[in-house]
Amino acid sequence: MFKNDTWVKPYLKQYKRPLMLAVFLGIIAVACEVGLMFNSGYLISKSASLPINILLVYVPIVLTRTFGIGRPVFRYMERLVSHNWVLKMTSNLRRRLYVALEPQAVFFNQKYRTGDILGLLSEDINHIQNLYLRVIFPAIIGGSLYVVVVILTGFFSIFFGLSMLVLFGFVVFVIPMWSVAANGARHAQAKVMKNNLYGNLTDNVLGISDWIFSQRGQDYVELHEKSEAELHEVRDNILKFKRRRDFLVQIVFGVIVIVALIWTGNSFDGVHGSGMTNWIAAFVLGVFPLINSFEPLSQAAEESSNYQDSIKRFNELPDATKKPTETSELTSPLTIKVDHVDFSYSVESKQILNNLEIKISAGEKLAILGKSGSGKSTLTHLLRGDLIPDEGQVTINDIKTSDLNDEIDQYIGVINQVPYLFNTTIANNLRIGDETASEDKLWDVLERVGLKEMIKRLPKGLDTLVDEAGLRFSGGERHRLSLARILLKDVPIIILDEPTVGLDPITEQGLINTFFNQLDGKTVIWVTHHLQGVDSMDKVIFIEDGQIEMQGTPTQLNDTNQRFRDLKAIDAGF
Amino acid sequence: MLDKRLMKLPGIKKIMVMLAGLAVLQALFIIGQAISLSLAITGLWSGKNLSEVIKWMGTFAASFVGRQLIELVRDRMLDKFAYSSAQQIRTTLLNKIFKLGPEVVQQVGTGNITTMTLDGIDQVENYIKLILSKVMNMMLIPWFVLATVFVFDWESGLVLTLVFPLIIIFMIILGYAAKSKADNQYAKFEMLSNHFIDSLRGISVLKYFGLSKKYADSIYTTSEQFRKATMSTIKVAILSTFALDFFTTLSIAVVAVLLGLRLINEKIFLFPALSILILTPEYFQPVRNFSSDYHATLDGKNAMTAIYNIIDNPGNKSESVKINPWTEQSQLTINHLDFNYQDSFGVKNLKLNIQGYNKVGIIGMSGSGKTTLINLLSGFFTPERSDIQIDNSNLESLNQADWQKQLIYMPQTPYVFHKTIRENVAFYHPNASDKDVRLAIEAVGLTSFVDELPDHLDTVLGEGSRALSGGQAQRIALARALIDSGRKIMLFDEPTAHLDIETEIDLKDKMLPMMDQRLVFFATHRLHWMKDMDYILVMKHGELVEQGTLEQLQQNNGPFVELTNAMIGGEADV
Repeated sequence: MFKNDTWVKPYLKQYKRPLMLAVFLGIIAVACEVGLMFNSGYLISKSASLPINILLVYVPIVLTRTFGIGRPVFRYMERLVSHNWVLKMTSNLRRRLYVALEPQAVFFNQKYRTGDILGLLSEDINHIQNLYLRVIFPAIIGGSLYVVVVILTGFFSIFFGLSMLVLFGFVVFVIPMWSVAANGARHAQAKVMKNNLYGNLTDNVLGISDWIFSQRGQDYVELHEKSEAELHEVRDNILKFKRRRDFLVQIVFGVIVIVALIWTGNSFDGVHGSGMTNWIAAFVLGVFPLINSFEPLSQAAEESSNYQDSIKRFNELPDATKKPTETSELTSPLTIKVDHVDFSYSVESKQILNNLEIKISAGEKLAILGKSGSGKSTLTHLLRGDLIPDEGQVTINDIKTSDLNDEIDQYIGVINQVPYLFNTTIANNLRIGDETASEDKLWDVLERVGLKEMIKRLPKGLDTLVDEAGLRFSGGERHRLSLARILLKDVPIIILDEPTVGLDPITEQGLINTFFNQLDGKTVIWVTHHLQGVDSMDKVIFIEDGQIEMQGTPTQLNDTNQRFRDLKAIDAGF
Repeated sequence: MLDKRLMKLPGIKKIMVMLAGLAVLQALFIIGQAISLSLAITGLWSGKNLSEVIKWMGTFAASFVGRQLIELVRDRMLDKFAYSSAQQIRTTLLNKIFKLGPEVVQQVGTGNITTMTLDGIDQVENYIKLILSKVMNMMLIPWFVLATVFVFDWESGLVLTLVFPLIIIFMIILGYAAKSKADNQYAKFEMLSNHFIDSLRGISVLKYFGLSKKYADSIYTTSEQFRKATMSTIKVAILSTFALDFFTTLSIAVVAVLLGLRLINEKIFLFPALSILILTPEYFQPVRNFSSDYHATLDGKNAMTAIYNIIDNPGNKSESVKINPWTEQSQLTINHLDFNYQDSFGVKNLKLNIQGYNKVGIIGMSGSGKTTLINLLSGFFTPERSDIQIDNSNLESLNQADWQKQLIYMPQTPYVFHKTIRENVAFYHPNASDKDVRLAIEAVGLTSFVDELPDHLDTVLGEGSRALSGGQAQRIALARALIDSGRKIMLFDEPTAHLDIETEIDLKDKMLPMMDQRLVFFATHRLHWMKDMDYILVMKHGELVEQGTLEQLQQNNGPFVELTNAMIGGEADV
């Protein structure tokens, strides 16, 4: 799962020191716990052998206390260091994820319409955090501990060392691997089943009114229960295996205790504390704390398959490679030319635009109409240079828009169907248009879009979080805020991509009036789905099947085109 | 400590008794394990051969295995019980959701409902599994261990007795400290942790404003701020674990040192001292287990509360009333109807009298109460006060099976299930013949669309599969309605608001014939529909301000004329 991985492994190397510190602290904590029991066992045995002088047990007494305090202190420090490490890594991961997604930013709403890919990716980062905290760290600590235990016991006796090598090897390597082999696939299967259940349930909850009207709700519940039962069968097998495996792991620990007893009993001769007999209790009791450290390894290994998807998703993201940007200054007036443009999203898919030709002069107001799927939105992406035509070219003052790269935002602004407001203050949302804008300037622009009065009335004014005011910001108001941002940015060309869909006619007309009053003098390209407000435009274009079906000034079309008149009549009402 | 709702689960009494029995048995094995191990070690220490202590080693092994077997049996029992309990809760929940319908979905949110039904129930299952055994073990095992320690040596017993309340007190105090610290920072936390996903969702806006590249650093900085805030909370939060660890290991150290000193003074022998030393960690183990799973149980508890909030929702309790199928002669009379949302007005003082097959248009601005009225007519909302009659039946609300089974409901964005075209169209009549399905598809003008698809009627629709345009989705929903000719009442809620004008006209041609011989309520803000309506209701601020035929309303020169003038004139700057 980590083969060719560039999202998890590199961070282990990048922040090697704090990582090693965390592992070291983890080992010391376990060592203190083992030391406490080991030392206590020795202390009591030694004391029971009635030493002549209390000073003979002075060192074990001090050590007992040291270990007793050391274990919680080191454990506490280890947790702090490892959490800090993981959060630090998260900051990097987030930045990297963002950078990887940024080049395709404009297409998010379309490309990943299905499901919430963004939510998924941000969830994935949490998964990776857990992967580090629950699998990778314990595995490193467990593995290191294993080496230490084997070396130390081997130092006392080859036999003892070898038996620990084998027995602990079971717990640290063999059983975890067996768990992955036995349950890994089941976990993956359960995950797929659960995802299906998620998709299915969401689908049917969204369509709940139809279930109610058809009065078949009970049918669905039964169907769902059936799928749940199938999932349960898989999970039941996972649990059955887990119970038996946990039992087996414990039995191995029992064997380790017995082996420790046998080895110490055989090799430490003596009576009542003479010779090495005081060490018997020490070695045997020292085994018990190790159980707690090694026990979770199998479960962790087994669950590591749950993180596979997240790692895969990350590694499939495009690597952000920066194109060299050469800046070319454009001087106004700006003329846009769509020159014999053909476009399709891929070779197999149908051609969206077919030999399209449009010229838009500076300050022109152009309305683009067409059925959904006729290529209106695709055209706006081509205008901004986010898409590159298959044939022909889109230029501003004879420079290809795609060559303008990131400079394009200096010339073209966009207002979308659903304007996004960031979960921050109104002021911050506006300053996206101009980071240096003074408060006076913000109020000024709010007045221009007709929101000044409303925001003045909010107790915190410009510092109101948009989320708090979320209920108060209707669709129309959101568009006004979005317009305010654009006005602050003050670009010469504005694309309005169906900004009034779903609004009632009065709100819509009000918004359109504000748009055109405030955008006076700028080039406006307005993609719309019906004819309200088109009379104030300089030119209207209808796109159908990737081509211009009719075009002209509204007056021309009204005079000469029956279809235009029909549509207009219907749109007006009666 | 145990939820009251848990104690109401079927079979819980029996499980609790069994768990108590197992806990006692396990305590006995733990004590047996400690004593036999001490005997074996003491034997070896005093110079005996391995063969002389073999019986104690055997006893130890038997106790050890016995203890683990109990663990196995208990886990098995709990896995089964937790699943069957969770399953019952889930069925109850689903039945409730699919009975309450859109009202509850709107309140809670689709995402929350699915998360609750899938992850929420899993958390509850886990909660049941963990809490029962952990609490039972914590309440029983320490007492048995403590009693044994007292039998061996009352002084050590006293130390352990005193430490226990100390642990509890410290954990509570630190728990509160962490909570208040977390609460204080909650708002900041929320904001910092949502910042990332917020930035991802708004990434296209950033791109349009040319800020997206620069923003990568802001993501890193915010994430780092989040790290610092989190770390300062974690420092306090994990102090409670630290306290637990600290007192546990310190008690072991204190007990060991005290035992050592008294061994030197010959106040106690090695065997009881060693038994106490082995038993001391066991005394703390149950509380440590409980605390390590504390957070998982909290999640489960919260999930359970959320789930029971829905299950305990009384819903609409209106008595079921017999309603005859709607005919030419049927009469719907609403003498009075009041409905309010939690935080805003809905619809008030509604008076209405409709007879037979009529087309009733509902017109008004956004927020005037059109949708609320449709939802009341469909029975999704229950009025606060009402006086409704259908023919001679008196009703409190229209949430009646006999009424809903006559309805065809068409929202702004009808839901298309992730199913085949056939299943989608035949949704109300799963047994409809292919011929009927074909006829319905023909009637809504989808035949050529279906024929062009490789799988025809078996093409799977919906997200992630064959996506439909808004107009196509409307047509599928219309076909769905058409197949059930027994449904004589149609409710439309702005069905064409999102459609481009040409699609709207196509669709209108298909819809109008369907409306004949039916009772139709048609909420819209598209004026051209009004010409086709027999009767019009004008809504304003939740009130029905005017009603009548189009001619009457136009002559009245009242609210209707005012509204339509504003819509057409577009002078209003709202």
